[in-house]
Formats: sequence, structure tokens, C-alpha cells
Amino acid sequence: MFINILSVSIAIAFLVIVLELVRRQRLREQYSLLWILFSIVLLIVSFNVSLMEWIADQLGVKYAPAVLFLFGLLFCFSLILHLTIVITKLTSQVLRLTQEVAILKAREALYGKNN
Amino acid sequence: MKTLIIIPAYNEEGSIGSVIADIRRHVPEADIIVINDGSSDRTEEVAMASGARVLTMPYNVGIGGGMQTGYMYAKMLDYDVAVQMDADGQHPAKELPKLIGQTARYDLVIGSRYVKSTSYRSSRMRRIGMIFFSKLVTLLTRQRFTDTTSGFRAAGRKVIGLYASYYPIDYPEVESLVYLKRHGCTITEVSTEMQRRQAGRSSITPARSVYYMIKVTFSVLMSAMRYNRTAVIK
Repeated sequence: MFINILSVSIAIAFLVIVLELVRRQRLREQYSLLWILFSIVLLIVSFNVSLMEWIADQLGVKYAPAVLFLFGLLFCFSLILHLTIVITKLTSQVLRLTQEVAILKAREALYGKNN
Repeated sequence: MKTLIIIPAYNEEGSIGSVIADIRRHVPEADIIVINDGSSDRTEEVAMASGARVLTMPYNVGIGGGMQTGYMYAKMLDYDVAVQMDADGQHPAKELPKLIGQTARYDLVIGSRYVKSTSYRSSRMRRIGMIFFSKLVTLLTRQRFTDTTSGFRAAGRKVIGLYASYYPIDYPEVESLVYLKRHGCTITEVSTEMQRRQAGRSSITPARSVYYMIKVTFSVLMSAMRYNRTAVIK
């Protein structure tokens, strides 16, 4: 079963990369937890193909991998939504910061030389 | 009464000088601040030479962000009245005393092109858009508005505070009215003359106007549904 070995090694490699990114402080722990959870789920599914088939059967899905795609897509969409929320927040924070810096600089130019 | 005139300017070296000179002639007691929104021309130098204070943004933050900076400045320095006007010369300074005078009775005073018939004329599409927004805001706020897109406005202390904490980022005029009404502000319109811009071009191109209509309508509806909650950064 070549595909089993392949999917298990991809899942493990993914987990290792995420942990390494956290260790090097390239990824915040806060965000990494989600990815660690994701790679563990990936690992479980790779080890246990019959689990996937069982879930598909319960949901009435005839083609088991379709369940995998469904959850994979849902995960991606919710993650992207989360990211755009983060970007919105960052944008407002950067704007507020820019405005305050601009005001401070203008006030310094006005009063700074007297102090 | 401490009055601040806020003029957001993005590459307006051709008109900013005469706009400032006009203001100084008609309301000499008011302070003038030009929000230079990352201009690449000589806007900053011309404005300074004309005797205005200049606040330069490190990069272009857009009209909403620039305007809000002016209100933040007004709040920080404790002004009683803040007036916003365009740098392209379409808002005549001789109308300023009329606007400022009404701030004693209203939280926000809008200089309107349409309260009485003035000499202002515009394209048909633009008129349709403006009528649509006026009807929309009138419906949502239950107050009759004729010129919701006017950027010629005088604000009292309450509005200065509200705008310093929240101001829409792009195409802010219409939404910012609904926001104020949701916070219980009183608003009035006074008839003002408006002129053709002296320099520069309108930022609204045909392609952008579609986005403009959709974006503004959407944010106005969202603002109307946001009961007394401000989108302040935590």
C-alpha cells in the first residue's frame, strides 16, 4: 500500500514543519495549534482508511474520498475567512498607528523646538 | 470658539494655495490644518507657505483615514468646531461663517448644493446616484437629506469625538451621516454655493462608480443595523 505510506509521511512531515516553525518563532503558538490539530487529523485518517469509509457510510456518501475533500475545503474556507478577519483588524491597527504618528510628528514640529 | 478647518489633500498643489488664502480672508480666526495624504507633488510646501499647518501622512491612507486624522487632531487639541472642506476649491470659503454659525444649534451642519437651487450642475448619472443616496439615507434616518455626498461640513464637539473614534475608510460621506444619526446627533443642511474644481480630477471613474454605489449602499445598510455600537479598535 504505497499510498498509505505516502499519506502518513506527508502528515508527519507537515506536523514536523509546523513544530519547527513554532520553535523558530516563525509561527505564533496561537495559530499553530490549529495546524497541529489539522496534521493530527490527517495522520489519523492516513493510518486508518476504514475510519474514513465508516464516516462516508454514516453520511450516505458513496465515494469515501469525497468526504475528505468536503472537510478539507471547509477547513480551508474557514481558515481563509479567519485570515481576512485578522487582516481587517491589522489594517485598522496600522491606520490608527499611522494617524497617531502623523499627529505626533506634526505637534513635535510645532512645539518641539521650544522644549 | 476655537475653530479648525480640516483640508485633506492628495496632490493638490495647483489649488491648495488659493483655498487656504480664501479661508484666511473669510475666517481669519480659524486654524487651518492640511492633511497631506502622502502627496508626491509640492502640496506640503505650498500649504505651509500659505500659512496653514500641515500634517503629513507617511503613505497614502485614503480619504477616510486622512479625514479622521483631522478629527483626531481636533479632539486632541480641544477644538469646539471642526470644518472639513475640499482642497480642490469647490467649497467656497465665503460660505464658512454660515456653516460655523449653525454649529451652535446642531451637532453637524452640511453645506448642501440642493436645499435651494444653486448654480451647481452635474452629469445625469451623478444626479441619479445622489438622489438614490438621499432617498436611502432619508428612509433609514427618517430625516430629509438633499446632499448626502457633500464633503463640506462643520462639526461640533460631539461629532468630533464620534468621528475621532470611528470614520469609514473609503467613500465616507454617506455612511458617516447614518453613523451620526445612530448616535443621536442632530444634523442640518444649509444651502451653499459650490464651484467647479479649480484643479485635479474627480476620483470617481465609470468603473469605480459601480463599486462606489455597491460599497456605499452596503456600508450604509450595515451602519443602520449597527445599533449604538462603534467599530472602535479594542
